[in-house]
Amino acid sequence: MLALPPALILKALIGGALAGGLCSLLGVFAVRLRMSSMGFCMSHAAFAGAALGLLLSLDPLAMAMTCSLLTAAILGPLADKAKLPADVVAGIVFPITMALAFIFLALLPGPVIGLTALSLLWGSILTLTTLDIVCLTLLTALTVAFICLFWKEVLAVLFDPRMAEADGINAKGYVYAMLFLLGAVVALSLKLVGGLLVYALVMNSASTALQASYDMKKVFLLSPLVGSSACVAGFLLSLWLDLPVGSSIVLVSSLMFAFSIIFSPKRRRG
Amino acid sequence: MRLVGVSTTYEGEKRPAIRDISLRVGSGELVSIIGPNGAGKTTLLETILGLLPSEGLVEVLGLDVKKRGREVRSRAGYVPQDFMVGAETPFLARDVVMMGRTARIGLFRLPSREDWAIVEAVMAELGILDLADRPIGKLSGGQQQKVMIARALAKEPELLLLDEPFSNLDASSRGLVCDIISGLRDELGTTILVVTHDLTAMPEDCDRVALLNGGLLTAYGEPDDVFSSEAFLVAYGPMRVKKPCWLSRRP
Repeated sequence: MLALPPALILKALIGGALAGGLCSLLGVFAVRLRMSSMGFCMSHAAFAGAALGLLLSLDPLAMAMTCSLLTAAILGPLADKAKLPADVVAGIVFPITMALAFIFLALLPGPVIGLTALSLLWGSILTLTTLDIVCLTLLTALTVAFICLFWKEVLAVLFDPRMAEADGINAKGYVYAMLFLLGAVVALSLKLVGGLLVYALVMNSASTALQASYDMKKVFLLSPLVGSSACVAGFLLSLWLDLPVGSSIVLVSSLMFAFSIIFSPKRRRG
Repeated sequence: MRLVGVSTTYEGEKRPAIRDISLRVGSGELVSIIGPNGAGKTTLLETILGLLPSEGLVEVLGLDVKKRGREVRSRAGYVPQDFMVGAETPFLARDVVMMGRTARIGLFRLPSREDWAIVEAVMAELGILDLADRPIGKLSGGQQQKVMIARALAKEPELLLLDEPFSNLDASSRGLVCDIISGLRDELGTTILVVTHDLTAMPEDCDRVALLNGGLLTAYGEPDDVFSSEAFLVAYGPMRVKKPCWLSRRP
């Protein structure tokens, strides 16, 4: 087991629990609205943004956030305007973000900066700063407030956006807000599991929670618990077995999903 | 409700799905919209709700739908055609019915005890209260359709638009829904539009019938007048269609 200063471990645990919980909470939106491909786009846009930040000597986190939110702001209206399924639009934008990321990485001078950039690919939870944790806390508060304040509307949109629109709810506005929050959390979680794996955290824990109940109230309560547990357990596992943190977290969350499929009460008879 | 010269063309199409439709529906009237497949019945309902961009004037509940569509929709109940959800859909029937009241309850407020009582009353009236805590995706087609009807009724709508609401219902359920909507019209003065391709399923006591054919409103008036019109023969052909059995019994 790796020996690390307790303060560092505590910070990583808090950051992991927050990011895991938040990713999973927003993952419920992504799973229900079938926005998974859009999420991939945003996570890779965040990665490209971080690489661009390093290239321009700007804060990689701020640039990741900017690019991720910009993508979130473009994807929804683009899919609506083009009248194309979200998957198609995301399929077109996704390679662009990856291509840009690789160009920025190739242009980075010196091996040290290159290594820093590559760490964005697999994450480095131990480098989480107090600012990262503050940002995650604020975004968690914003997301919880959004869900609580607009609970009825969120439920109606997650059930069926078109029916919600027919009921006089601004469904498009809520979907865009959900995309925006998703873009923000993806960018903030980049340090945790890295650009390549962050979206697994979003999808796995929400999908696990959705296996447990048909009641959305319970799903929304369970999902962040699953996400936080996966992050904490994955982090401890990585310390114990000296494995990459991001990969460990994703493997644990995938394992939890596998168990949820096997033991889901939805699959019981009688 | 007033429509003047309304046409709706789907994106990428040259030919409008409905053309130059003008009609007026009085407050508290029950109107059946009939027509063969592809006549434009669903398009007409979605145009009335402002869900589709259209040309011409669409005035509903005294509001211009193009400018204040969301407000109209928040006061109108709508049951879409063949709405079904998958078995894994994580919503309970009770919560789906409550969604109908979302716009009525307003922003930043949770459903009150009174709202839940209305939801339960509507579900009881439709005979589905025992399904309240069941996942909607696990219900049969007919049960899901009743949940969607309950969702529209729970809104306490001033205007009710039902698109093929009887397609999955058995005969007794059809009768029950017909009785409920007639009651809404008679007791609350709700304006109701029912789309149906099955003429035998038409509400027995509808005030008027609108016949659509090829996107045009080819007849509009009292049921007997529409069924004996030339336009009806053109739309359905002579003797090829079963007319409502109650038609001859009407006073």
